[in-house]
Amino acid sequence: MPTEIARLDLFLRRRSLIGYSLGMAVYTLVVVALYPAFEHSTSLDTLVKNDATVSALFGVTGTLSTPGGWLNGNIYANFLPLLMLLLTIGYGAASLAGQDEDGTLCLIAALPVRRATVVVEKAAAMALQAATLAAAVAVFVLIGRFFDVTVSVANVASISATTLLLGLDFGLVTMAIGARTGSRATALGAGTALAAASFLLGSLASVVSWLHPARFASLFYWSVADNQITRGASLADYAVLLAVALAALYAATLSFRRLDLH
Amino acid sequence: MSTAAIETSLLGKTYGETRALVELSVRVEPGQVFGFLGPNGAGKTTTIRMLLGLQRPTTGEAQVLGLDAWAESVEVHRRVGYLPGELALYPRLSGRQHVDRFARARGERDLSFAGQLCERFAVVLDRPARELSKGNRQKLGLVLAFMHRPELLILDEPTSGLDPLMQDEFERLVRETVAEGRTVFLSSHGLDEVQRLADRVALIRSGRLVATDTVESLRQSTPLRIEARFRRPVEPDLFAHLEGVTVGARDGGRITLQVTGPIAPVLTAIAERDPVDILSRHADLDELFLELYREPAAEDARAD
Repeated sequence: MPTEIARLDLFLRRRSLIGYSLGMAVYTLVVVALYPAFEHSTSLDTLVKNDATVSALFGVTGTLSTPGGWLNGNIYANFLPLLMLLLTIGYGAASLAGQDEDGTLCLIAALPVRRATVVVEKAAAMALQAATLAAAVAVFVLIGRFFDVTVSVANVASISATTLLLGLDFGLVTMAIGARTGSRATALGAGTALAAASFLLGSLASVVSWLHPARFASLFYWSVADNQITRGASLADYAVLLAVALAALYAATLSFRRLDLH
Repeated sequence: MSTAAIETSLLGKTYGETRALVELSVRVEPGQVFGFLGPNGAGKTTTIRMLLGLQRPTTGEAQVLGLDAWAESVEVHRRVGYLPGELALYPRLSGRQHVDRFARARGERDLSFAGQLCERFAVVLDRPARELSKGNRQKLGLVLAFMHRPELLILDEPTSGLDPLMQDEFERLVRETVAEGRTVFLSSHGLDEVQRLADRVALIRSGRLVATDTVESLRQSTPLRIEARFRRPVEPDLFAHLEGVTVGARDGGRITLQVTGPIAPVLTAIAERDPVDILSRHADLDELFLELYREPAAEDARAD
């Protein structure tokens, strides 16, 4: 069956995926349920309004007391991307280099499937895991309507998609590094370092004036840090994130075709 | 000439500065059991990985069933069954899940032969692989390699961890397989199973081919071992000067000689000393292989 490799990996990771999604869903529910207690808090708004550094720290572009600001500051600008990257970078490092080190990849690689197909199926498994996490959060954000957290369905869908793509970008870059080096540790280290650098750049660029033009180099800017929750993601956001994902997928495929397996 | 099941030509693999395999040229005919022998680290596993297109040759080429092992690996994999030397299963998958999922991945719908194999090898199907003993994991690996009835089986240390009963069952399965015209390429560092099963063997050491022949020819090429008993102790010098004679163990009137040269002068020399008993046979293949395995320690460092 053509999807068996993806199905196998999803089956093997089902427990951690359920754990990630359930944990994030419960966290989201708590965040939206707490919103009514903070919605009229002027001190919170003063805090971020008068100090751009604090604002950047929370990833808030407007006020914290608006539904969009509240979701940004508590979920989309920090916690969800962090969990998303843990999931995708972890899988990116494990899916090729990690399984090769474990010795299980040779069973897959000895099947009558092209190596490019193996990479594409694993990328699809990564996308499905990321989509599950993003969807679990989105559902509970929409439940937030019952707690006055009113954001448009389109914007929630939009930022869920860009968060998913952000995870895919770094996950696939990690996978490509693993396919190039055959080392899980190298892939994990390099993928995490790139994501941390990108996050730092995105955060600092909004408060350090001379770094401001560099914000475009951060994938966080194109996914969650440019107020996508209130304005919706633009075509440019999608295009950049998708282009990086496709380039990383291509690099992973090329590298894996040349990798000596064990 | 029919298409070889396996044919390598000057096949070589280098890892950094280490030459793991050097200009290996072997041909395996269809319908044979071919034994691939060598000590640990000789380059057997490296060769197998290149035959399966898991690793790319540094030099030379490998053809499997007439296909380029690297460039046409998908078709090779369709027609080949593989048991890795260091079999790693998915720890949380049960035996049954392994069989079902790998059969589906191969597009196999009929699992009746896989079921028969599981019965023959008494495979534990309902426990996760992490709870299985080495032998039980190996039996599962054999089922995964044989279950799609491939034209060629490439088995790396297949009886590792199997008890004697299961080794017998494995040997029966191999004989049935070649009786159907299929081919088995069997890598091992142990001689016993190879000399029982193999039609031909190749021996590699430090990445280089040392010998390739039929088991019977190799046996014939071993030195003649003559054990003679005399009424009185004899001086070894009487035999040591003869061409192609090495004097072995000596105990009173008993002496053991290894003869690679002409036998008539040896028999004459024995006859002149009033022998009471004489026993002559070719040396065990084990001895030949131990001799072939032996090499200067400096050459030993090889990747496998």
